[in-house]
Amino acid sequence: MHSFGHRANAVATFAVTILAAMCFAASFSDNFHSPSPVASVKILNTNWFQKESHGNDEVSMTLNISADLSSLFTWNTKQVFVFVAAEYETPQNALNQVSLWDGIIPSKEHAKFLIHTTNKYRFIDQGSNLKGKDFNLTMHWHIMPKTGKMFADKIVMTGYRLPEQYR
Amino acid sequence: MDWQGQKRAEMLMQLLLVASAVAAFLVGYAMADFQLMLLVYAGGVVLTALVTVPNWPFFNRHPLKWLDAAEADRHPRPQVSAATTAGKKKIGKNK
Repeated sequence: MHSFGHRANAVATFAVTILAAMCFAASFSDNFHSPSPVASVKILNTNWFQKESHGNDEVSMTLNISADLSSLFTWNTKQVFVFVAAEYETPQNALNQVSLWDGIIPSKEHAKFLIHTTNKYRFIDQGSNLKGKDFNLTMHWHIMPKTGKMFADKIVMTGYRLPEQYR
Repeated sequence: MDWQGQKRAEMLMQLLLVASAVAAFLVGYAMADFQLMLLVYAGGVVLTALVTVPNWPFFNRHPLKWLDAAEADRHPRPQVSAATTAGKKKIGKNK
């Protein structure tokens, strides 16, 4: 601490060390947050449902996705990535996940939404297992913090069923 | 900056930085505003730098009291036996 430069260096190093500790504390404070998100997805229509030339089933549907994810946001949240996946079981795979729609929520103000859309990404099975298939629509989300670790969680919505016949 | 001043500067620096960090975190958390936390802390760092980095008169209240040069002449260091190999240098220093 004997010279100007030495003192300036000491202030800078200690300040950055503490800044790291503050970021850690901010990240840690997220653990005390218990969100209560709600989501629901309605299938308004099955637009078409067919077997493609190479033998895989594909379905197109119109979805009504509504959710209130504003409780996921804390002061340390940068954005939330959210996607809706169709999840079902086939003889080959215990769990198939097909992403149908996704979105990035940049702020708490945008976290309550209602979206009317056809599936953004194609719903194609690996094979021909979709006729009359029971499936879940699951809303997954990843919370991206400003500092610290990412959190992920989901809401599973059950009781959806694909048509028995191609159309 | 004297010895006491250096000690004081270091303690002040640590105290101010930790205090501004705690204040910034509490404000940021209370207002749920991460950017505000960073701004408050940045303010604290600037303040700390202004207080502790320049050589303020405040840090020079305990100057070292050096003995007068004449005092050294009155109490010369004991001479090493004159004929040793390092004699030349020592003699020069003890003059």
